[in-house]
Order: sequence, then structure tokens, then C-alpha cells
Amino acid sequence: MESNKKYWKGLEELNQTPAFVEGSKGEFAESIPVEDVLNEAGLSTKTPRRDFLKALGFGLGAVTLAACNRTPIHKAVPYVIKPEEITPGIPNFYASSFNGQSVIVRTREGRPISLEANPNAVGLNQGTDASTSASVLDLYDMSKLQAPQIGGKDVSWAQLDKAVVDALNKAQAAGKQITIVSDTVNSPSTLAAIAALAAKYPATQHVQVDAVSYSGIIEANRASFGKAVIPSYHFDNAQVVVSVAADFLGSWLAGEEHTQDYIKNRDHKSLKGGKMSRHIQFESGLSMTGSNADVRAAIKPSEEGAVLIGLYNAITGSSIAGGTTNAKATTILKLAAAELVKARGAAVVVAGSNDINTQVLVNAINSALGAYGSIIDLDNYSKQYQGSDAAFQQFLTAAKAGQVGVAFFLNSNPVYNYFKAEDAKAAIAKVDYTVSFADRADETASELKAIAPNCTFLEAWGDASAKEGLFTIIQPTINPVFNTRQAEQSLLTWAGVNKSIHDFVKETWETTILAGTGKAWKDVLQQGFVYKGSTTGSAYASNADVNAAAAAIVNDSKRVSGGVELKLYESTTLRDGRYANNAYLQELPDPVSKVTWDNYAAINPVDAEELGVKETGKVTVEANGYKVDLPVILQPGQARGTVSVAVGYGRTKVGKAGNEVGVNAYPFASLVNGTIQLSAKATVSKASGIYELAQTQTHHTIEGRNIVRETSFAKYLKDPNSESGRFADTHQTYDLWNKFEQPGHRWVMAIDLNACTGCGSCIVACNVENNIPVVGRDEVRRRREMHWLRIDRYYTLENGEASLTKEKEIAKADGMDYESVTVVHQPMLCQHCEHAPCETVCPVLATVHSSEGLNHMAYNRCFGTRYCANNCPYKVRRFNWFNYWNDSRFDNYLNNEFTQLVLNPDVTTRSRGVMEKCSMCIQRIQAGKLQAKIENRKVKDGDIKMACQAACSANAIIFGDANDPESEVSKALRNERVYYVLEEINVQPNIGYMTKVRNTFEA
Amino acid sequence: MRNISSVLGRLAKSISVSLVLLFAVTTAAQAQDAANGAALFKANACQSCHTLGRNGVGPDLLGLSERREMGWIVKWIHNPQGMIDAGDPIALELKGKYPTVMTPFASLSESDIADMVAYLDAEKVKAEEKKNSPAAAGAAASSDANTMMIIGLVALFVVAIAVIFALNRVTKTLERVIANNQAAIAEAQARHEEAGESNTAKFAQAFLKNKKLVFFVVLMVVGLLGAAGWNTMWNVGVHQGYKPVQPIKFSHQIHAGVNQIECQYCHGGAFKSKNASIPSANVCMNCHNTVTASDHYDGQTSPEIAKLYRAVDWDQETRTYGTNTRPIEWVRIHNLPDFAYFNHSQHVVVAGVECQTCHGPIQDMEEVYQYSPLTMKWCVDCHKETEVNKDNAYYDQLIEAHEKLKKGEKMTAAMIGGLECGKCHY
Repeated sequence: MESNKKYWKGLEELNQTPAFVEGSKGEFAESIPVEDVLNEAGLSTKTPRRDFLKALGFGLGAVTLAACNRTPIHKAVPYVIKPEEITPGIPNFYASSFNGQSVIVRTREGRPISLEANPNAVGLNQGTDASTSASVLDLYDMSKLQAPQIGGKDVSWAQLDKAVVDALNKAQAAGKQITIVSDTVNSPSTLAAIAALAAKYPATQHVQVDAVSYSGIIEANRASFGKAVIPSYHFDNAQVVVSVAADFLGSWLAGEEHTQDYIKNRDHKSLKGGKMSRHIQFESGLSMTGSNADVRAAIKPSEEGAVLIGLYNAITGSSIAGGTTNAKATTILKLAAAELVKARGAAVVVAGSNDINTQVLVNAINSALGAYGSIIDLDNYSKQYQGSDAAFQQFLTAAKAGQVGVAFFLNSNPVYNYFKAEDAKAAIAKVDYTVSFADRADETASELKAIAPNCTFLEAWGDASAKEGLFTIIQPTINPVFNTRQAEQSLLTWAGVNKSIHDFVKETWETTILAGTGKAWKDVLQQGFVYKGSTTGSAYASNADVNAAAAAIVNDSKRVSGGVELKLYESTTLRDGRYANNAYLQELPDPVSKVTWDNYAAINPVDAEELGVKETGKVTVEANGYKVDLPVILQPGQARGTVSVAVGYGRTKVGKAGNEVGVNAYPFASLVNGTIQLSAKATVSKASGIYELAQTQTHHTIEGRNIVRETSFAKYLKDPNSESGRFADTHQTYDLWNKFEQPGHRWVMAIDLNACTGCGSCIVACNVENNIPVVGRDEVRRRREMHWLRIDRYYTLENGEASLTKEKEIAKADGMDYESVTVVHQPMLCQHCEHAPCETVCPVLATVHSSEGLNHMAYNRCFGTRYCANNCPYKVRRFNWFNYWNDSRFDNYLNNEFTQLVLNPDVTTRSRGVMEKCSMCIQRIQAGKLQAKIENRKVKDGDIKMACQAACSANAIIFGDANDPESEVSKALRNERVYYVLEEINVQPNIGYMTKVRNTFEA
Repeated sequence: MRNISSVLGRLAKSISVSLVLLFAVTTAAQAQDAANGAALFKANACQSCHTLGRNGVGPDLLGLSERREMGWIVKWIHNPQGMIDAGDPIALELKGKYPTVMTPFASLSESDIADMVAYLDAEKVKAEEKKNSPAAAGAAASSDANTMMIIGLVALFVVAIAVIFALNRVTKTLERVIANNQAAIAEAQARHEEAGESNTAKFAQAFLKNKKLVFFVVLMVVGLLGAAGWNTMWNVGVHQGYKPVQPIKFSHQIHAGVNQIECQYCHGGAFKSKNASIPSANVCMNCHNTVTASDHYDGQTSPEIAKLYRAVDWDQETRTYGTNTRPIEWVRIHNLPDFAYFNHSQHVVVAGVECQTCHGPIQDMEEVYQYSPLTMKWCVDCHKETEVNKDNAYYDQLIEAHEKLKKGEKMTAAMIGGLECGKCHY
């Protein structure tokens, strides 16, 4: 059955604006001036002919000279003494951890080239987030400091040590406080190193503060349960999830781990068992989590409290006075409450607010729902965010009063990310001696007296404890590349502890962590982690005063309501701004808006019309006394009367790639009731000027063809085939080509649209694995991004109960508020068609089919006619307009000798003028086959994993051999939900998609 | 030149050795057989630890008979560890100086040992003779390259001066003759020119008249040039026979040919990895911490091996490694373009291809050169012919399928996709 739903990527497509229609016609955004050069006048006048002959003569001469060159001398320099574990050409793997996740680092000839999840770990073990995959690039970041500095001048470590120890002694003598300001530190070794300093200098204090604060949850849990921690969440035990403005699949707490758990109740395996969870989202801006919700209600930030009070009332039967919400939200709220009650024990409510009272109310709701224990675990609690806004305030007060003798800043950048930067600066200026451990002279570090540059985690010994009872090791995979020293070693040196960091970490583990586990240090280095916690938590009952909390919430909502409401959020790609100089992350399109290299003001299209701004327009946003111009994006799904802005942009001293990208939004925040709040009352007005965002949403448009299949859970239960619209079931197909045997392997992929959340970590993993260049903002604007894998995000409109389906109805959609949209994320990559249209048009046979079902691309044959890209119905081919890895125009991203060390040596870097596309990680396939041959066996299912698959925590990408009927992918492709995109044109793609299933109310 | 000198050197050495032996045999009172001793010395590989004239892993043995009693020597050779354990003072001193205890050679009889001592005595005499009077050991011994070259140069110089002198005389005589017979010469010249000119002109005219011949010649020239050009173009970037000068004159012929060292001892990567890998210098040192080839260099360490020692900063006297290492910068001989992926282990382990198939008679190469053209055609030709190793369980499925299809035909790499672009280019 054909779906008649209309999917669109952007408003320009929905409205078929002239610019969009024009742009979608051509293969490339800018027309190539072929006619100007080749027209008759051009060749008949005298000068061009002479120029032509000159060029011809020169070309001939140059080619002749080039052909006469002698064998080029390439040096081959072997090791003097080869380390025993290294065999050139074979990767080594080391267990380490990043942001508390146990990972495996792949190194080649001693340099780290990629990261993957540790499959045996506890917690997140089947995928990584985008920043984890991209983190290898930070090691090769040329904007980092290469030596310690005092007053902006390079010094030796001995000089720095002397200066710092002098300052410490002076502070001690003067009876002044010594403060270490850091973000959350959960590493036992780092804490032990700080303790060592505190032992020598008893006035040492440790203040933890996070740029995006969660101290509201900590304080709320202190009030409700007497336990000042952030719980860990197990969404795999939740059948109903209600989120109020929490982007829990993206940036909220452990987003990727939540994704892994959450998808377990929604993917093809769960559906096969007839089960699917229901997810209801209330939020103002369309977040990635909201885009995956079954039901979504757009509310203003000021209504968040009202929604929670409404839920509380409905669940507990009480009648606390609360604010009101809009009509649609009220309807959904009632249905949601009923669902929650029905699923008591398997239902959870999460809220993104950092307000203590709001979180107290959420605790009360979850307590009433019986979520504590199985879903919310307060025993094995999360330790990822322990920052306290109050503690930082105390530090600022003490510093301003001149009570601080020495201040250290470890992974902390308040001059950039504290909402009152001037305040922070003034406080810092009053401190006698200040030292930063930043790896670069960032906004804060450049204000300080000294910088003791820290190593990256790939160069350091260390550990982490992201969760109570879980300890992960960090072991170095390379010697420090620059003259840097890891912060813990510096602290030990200043504390007078004469011990190498390796010995110190080992000792910390052996004396505290490993005691009683029966494991030795070597086991840890091999396995990467130790887990001493349990699998479930115990039940807790909230005993805070709900009435008082509700009253405070209602009162606080007045701070925001009235006028336009501003909501700040942490972007899922750049997070809080610490990765701003990572070019891979800057170029990763936002999961929802598909904007790269910028932040923006997202407003509802109707509001925009009222303001008189269009796409490429700019608005002035003013809130909390801070005023700034931002490019505007017309965001479907955005609540009316709200504006959303991402923090983490607008850095000024982070490095070549990240400087001056976007606008800093932290100053919009405010301190309310002791915690940092991210919503505010704002005024938005039209600003002059135009600004074109580098937005990939309508690049590679599929021209309204029916490529997304979507059904509801109810329909699915009746007929698993529903809406899959399989062409082959209803039509006879004919072949132009002879059948050929594929007796060996047939590599295929299955993509579960119901599992894909659109987070984009696969894109970064693909970039890292396949040496895909970063092209920068200007080139993205010209539609020249090189990503082999993209995630197409499609909107559909909903109008009240029924979705708008027919084209005609959409034309009548003028009166809509654009608040109710549903979203489908579709990863799109080379489909490796058996009857590939690209292959037949290549004049030089540069792209041909293999007996294993892959569409090969021989770069050295390609001479760039681009016919293939023109003929590809999926628009997945990318053309190299430049030598991105060796062209001074791309110096800010990856083009320097040092950064090139991140390249995967098994994959060619493509030169200018050739086509490229997804190769199905053929280097991994070949390596897997070779391993099997060497071991004299067949390839086992799971031996070979694609880079994108390995990065996907939702397990949405399944790869394998279709000739093996027992392989995971064969099983997945036998699923009733499987359909092939554009199956009707009989190109016989090798990638099957599974229909999106939405567990909506009305069906 | 070096070859000549080394040949001469060897010749000289053998002459002197035989002279000395003759001398030894005729004059030795105890009729000990120094020749037998020399053979035994070699057969038991004594030289691998004892370098004559210098301390090595073990002490220098020259003058052994003067330092030690014969009985002590015999006891020591038969059971060195036993003597250390027994607390023999000399043995303990040796143990202190040379930590590696000598291997016992219990099978050597007393007379054998006496022979070897005789050989050592003879060597001592020879060494002293050489030291005292380099010329006395025979003029041939010192007539190495330098002397030869100097004599040659002097001779050349003398001859050149003689020739210049003679030519000068001839010129002067001729000038005198010309001055005397100016007119007669001019006449003769004119006559000669006329005849010559007419001959050439005639031939050219005849040739130009024959249009067919002209056409044929032009065609041949164009054809030849075209063929040569075509050939050149096809060979652009093909470096077959490429033999760069390497920083160390490493000879595969000695290592793989004469000494029969397995390829994988040094190039272990070929069996595990895509890279065959050039061995790191520590692999060389496994043997070369004792093997110095000094028997070919008059007791000195081979200058090429000395380069290796410099690279790893190995001090021969103290037998210790320093920290000032300098990697050896070999020149790559086999350069595949970046866009072609080649994996050694695939070919060596899976397919069982001999190293020589692609690298040629490496065991005979004094200096390695590129044996194969390394062109894609060369790869493809082999893939078309090479049968797949059907015993490998990996191919079970494929073989099953192919047997169903075509009974009795061989299965080549090409048939299982070995010619597909993506197999090498990604």
C-alpha cells in the first residue's frame, strides 16, 4: 500500500520556493560556466584561440617534462628498536575511556586513529557519541599549546613548578585559600592527586562547576531522598516515558546510554515480540529527543511546571493549583497521565529543568509511579555531573574579597561559559596567583598568570568513574606529542610527591578500587573497567513538600512568561563548547535543523512571518540585559512565542576552526534560587542584514519521491507489513541485465528507521574511518559537504487529530501554526544497487559492481565527469572540488602535516576531481576476509563491523552477509517491515530499511 | 676498483697464509697441525665469540699459549662452568670480565685443542709480522687499491707528457712542410673537394628521384619513432630494474643466499601484515652483535656493519648500547601508488606465493633491484592464472558453488572477484 503522507525536509521544499525549485534542478548548487568558455564567440575571437594554443603547448611541454622524471626517492625508515607489540600494518587495540565510557582505542604504528565502544563494558557498550569518535582529532589539534607558559611566554616545566610552588607557599604563609576550580571530576586518581595537594597545603579547596549545570537535580534529590546525587536511568525498563523538556537521548546526562536502553523497547527485535514503548515529549524547541517522540506537544518554557503539576495531579489524584497550558498540551497531558498510571512500575517522567523545585516535583511523580529501583537508580548513581552552582558562587565571593591565594582551573573556562563573564574575570584578577591546566590559551587561561598545559586522554594515565561502582581506566596510547604534562602529574609535583603518574594511578587502583575484586592491575589494563555496583537499585520514596515546590514553580514561571520566551539548550554536536575546535563536530549537521558551523535563533515560522523575517534573515534577541544578533531559522515544531538558542558557540580563543563560530549564548542564562537557569523572558526583533546558514537540509533532495514509510504501532500489530509498501510483492520486475551468481558473500545492510534517533555519531565515525575531509562553512553553503553518510530528516505536518496527508491539504496548510510536526530520520548512504545506475553511465568504468554486491569506486580511474552523481537516484555521491587534505584554503580544518596523522592508513585520500562515496568500509571487509583466510575458516557473522554500525548505540545499522541465512542481517531483512528505497525503479539496492513505527494515541 | 682491491687483498692473504703455514709446518717442533686447528676453529664456530686481535663476547685468543697453561686450557674448554663453580681464580676473573659463560666443548680431544692452540700461535706470528713490517709480509699484501692507483696515475701522467711532447714535434714538422708547399696543397685540396661533392650530390639526387624509396624511408622513420614513443609512454612510471644506492651495502646474496636465512626472520611482517616491513635494526643486532665479518676485513669490523653499529649506537669494545640512535634511511625500491592496496600476508600466507615470484632471485642479488614491473597488468595476469588454495576452509562455500557450475575447471583468483577494482583500490 502506498503511503500518501507528504514528507519534506524544509519549509522551502514544503512551499516550493523558487530558489528551492531552481536549486534542486541542477546537480550542483552553482552552475559551472561551461557555456561561457565553449560558446562560439569564445572560440572564434583571436585571443582565446591563441590562449588555447599557448595552454596546449604549455600543457604538452609540462606533461612531457613530468613524464621524464626519474624514479622518485622514497625513504623507508624502519624502527631502530621495534617495540615487540607493533607489527607495521597491523592495528593494536588498547582499552581506555572517554567521558567515563569504556572504549577501545585503535592505534597504527603507535598513533591512535579511532575509538570504538568496549563491547564488554557496563553501561554504554554498543556505540559512542559523536564527540567520542571525533576526539582523536583533538590529539592532532595544532591550536594547542606546545609548552608551559607564564605570562604568555614559553617557559620550562622547572621554571613553572618553581613559580607555582612559591605561590602556594606564599598563600599558605598568608593563610589564604587555595582553590581548584574544575568541571566534574569523578576520576579517583585525579581526586587522589588533589587530595595529595590538600595534604601538603591544607587550605586547598576543590570547587566543581559544570558549564551546563545539573545541580538542580542534585539539590532536589537531597531534598526528596536525602541523597545529593544524580540518579542513573534505565530506560530499557520503561514502557512509558514522559519527558518535559529533557533531551534525554541527546545532551541530557548520559544521552547515548539512554539511547541504547530506550531503543531496546522500540527496535525491530522488540517489535517482533509485539512490544513498543510510548514516548511523550513536552518541549518548546524541537530537540532530537522530541523528534523521536511518539507524541509531542509544543509548550512554552514557562509551561513546563504547569505540565508537571498537571501530571502530578492526574497521577496522585491531588489538586495542586498550577499554571495552565495550551489546549493541545492539555489534551496530551491527560492522555499521558493515563498512560503513566496504566504502566505504573514501568513508567518514568524526566524533566530537563535545572530548577530545584521542578525536580522535587518530578521526584514526587516518579515516586508515585514506582519508578525508583528498576528505572531510576539512586544506588548506582551517575557521577557525570557533580558541579555545584552554589560552590562556584562562594568561590567568586571569596576571590572578590581577596581571600584566595592561588586558583587552579582544570577543564574549567568560566570566562567563556559563566553567564557573567566580567564578574568571573574581576574575581580572577583579585586572586594572587592563577594557573590553568587548559591545553590551549583559551578565554580563561589567557587571563591567568600561568598555563600548565594538560595532555589529552590519549596521552595520559588516568581513570574515571561515571557511575557509582563503575571504574574505567585511561591508558596512554602515545607519548605526549608536545611538551605537555598531565594535570595530575603537575599536582603531584607541586604537592611534593615524587612519583610517576603511572605508579600513582596503579597504586590508587591497587589500594582502593581493586581491593576485594580479585582482579589485578593487568586485568584492568586489558579489560578496561571494573564494576562493583549492582544491576538494579532499591526503591525510594520522595518525602519533600510537593505543595511548596509547586507554589514556587508557579511563582518562578512568572519570571519567564509574558512576551517571547527564550530557551537555551546544549547542542548534541558541540555540547557545552569544549569541543568547539573539533572540525568534525563543527561540520556535523545538527540532528534537527541540519545547520553546521553556526548557532542560530530558532523560531516558529508563523512568528517569523509576524516579525517579517525570512530564512537568511537575522533577529536581535535580548534577555537578561544581554543583546545579540543571531541568524534566524524557521523551525517547524517550535512552540509559538518562543526562541531557542544553543550554547557552546561563539568561542573566541579556542583555535583556528572554532574561533568566532556562532554567538556565545551563555550570557542569556541567569542564577535563580541558587542554580543556573536556561530560560528567560526575551524580546526578539528583526535585525538588518542577511546571513546564510550552512544548512544541509535541502541538499541532495529526493524531490518528493516516496522514500519514507511510516506506520502506527496499532496498524503494525494488525499487519506487520502495514505501510511498508513493498513493490516486489505487487509487481513483476524485469531485468535488463543478465543475472549473475554471487556464490561468495553478498554484503548487505539493514537500517531500522525506528531505532535511528538521528544523533549523527555514525557520520563522525564514518569521517574518521574513511578520511573524509572537512570542507568548512563556505563550501557547505555551496552544497559541497563530503559526508558519505548523511541523515535525512523529514517533517510531516499534523493538524489536530489527523495528519495532513494529501498534497492538496498541505497547500491549504497556510493557517497552521507549525507547532505539530512529526519527524523521521533516515540515514542515507550508497545503496550498493545491484543494478546501479551510476555504473552504467561511467565512461571509464571507474565505478563497477563486485561479485559480493558492492559498488566499487576506483578513484584512480575516475576522471571526474560526474555523470554518476547525476544518475544516482539517492544522491549519495560526493565530488572532490579540492585537494582538501593538501590545500591552503583548508588550513583551518585538517590540512597540516600534523593533523594528517589522524588519517586511516588503510584508506586512500582522494585527490581533486574524483568522485567518492560510501565504500561499505571495504577495507574492513577485506581485512575481515583475510583474517578468516589466514585462520583457515569462514567469515563469522559479526567479524566485520562497519564504522557507522560500531558507532550506533541504537543498533539501527545492521551489516552482514546475506548469503549466510543465519546472519543477523539476513534475519533482520526477513522482517515484514523491510522495504527498499525507490524499489520501484528496480535498481535493486542492497540496503533494506525498516518502516518507522509510531506509537501514537489516536490509532 | 674496490672489487679489484678486495680480490687482490684476498689473493695476498691466501698467499701469505700459505707462506706462513709452510713456514709453520716446516719449523714447528711439536708437529702440531695448525691447518687442522684452523679447520676446527671454524667448525666449532669459535670465531662467533672470539675475534682474533680484539676482545669480543669472549677474550682475544691471540697469545693464548703465553697466558695460560695447556692443561688449564683443556680443562676450561671441556667444562668452563665447572671451573667457575670450583672457584678457579682465572675462571672467576674471566667471568667478571665476560658475563656470558663459554659453551663447553667436551668433544674436543686434547690433541685437537693443541692443534687449535698451534693455529692461534701461527695467527699471532702472522699478526706481529704484519704489525712490525707491513712490507715484509710480501709486497703483494700491501699492494692494495691505493698503491695500484697511485702507480697507475703516475704512469699515466708520464705517458701523457710523452704523448704531448711527441705531438708537439709532429705539429711543428707539419707546419714547416705546409709553409714550404703552400701552392701544391691548395691545388690538391680543390681537386679532392670537387670529386667528393659530386659523389654525394649524385647519390642524393638518385635517392630523391625514387619517390617510393623516399616514402618508404620516411614511413620507416615515422614508424620507428612512433613505436619508440609508444613504448616509452607505456613505461612511464614503470621502474622495473630500479636499483637505488642504499645507505648500507646490504647483500641479500650473503644473507638469504649463502647463509640461507629464512626471509621471514627479517621480514616477519610479510606473514602477518600488509607490510613485509624492513627489519628494525635490533633484528640485525641479533646476529651482528657477534658477526662482524672481520675475517674479510683483516680483522676489522666490516665498514657496512659498522654503519649498523652507528645506527643503534652499539659500542663494540664495551658491548653496550648507547642512547644516540640514528635510524637507517633505506631507499624504498618497490613503490606502489597510494591508491593501490597490497597486502603481503594475503599473498604469502593465504596463497602461499614464494617471495621470489614477485621479488625475483633475491638470494642471488648483491644489491636488490625491482624485479617485477609492478604494473596493474602484471598483477592482473597473475590473478588470471593463479589457482586458489582450495584447502582453505574460507573457500568452501565458493568451491561448492563453482563445482556445481563448471565441473573440472580450475578456480582462479579472478573468478572469485580478484580483478574487481575495490579489491585493491579504496
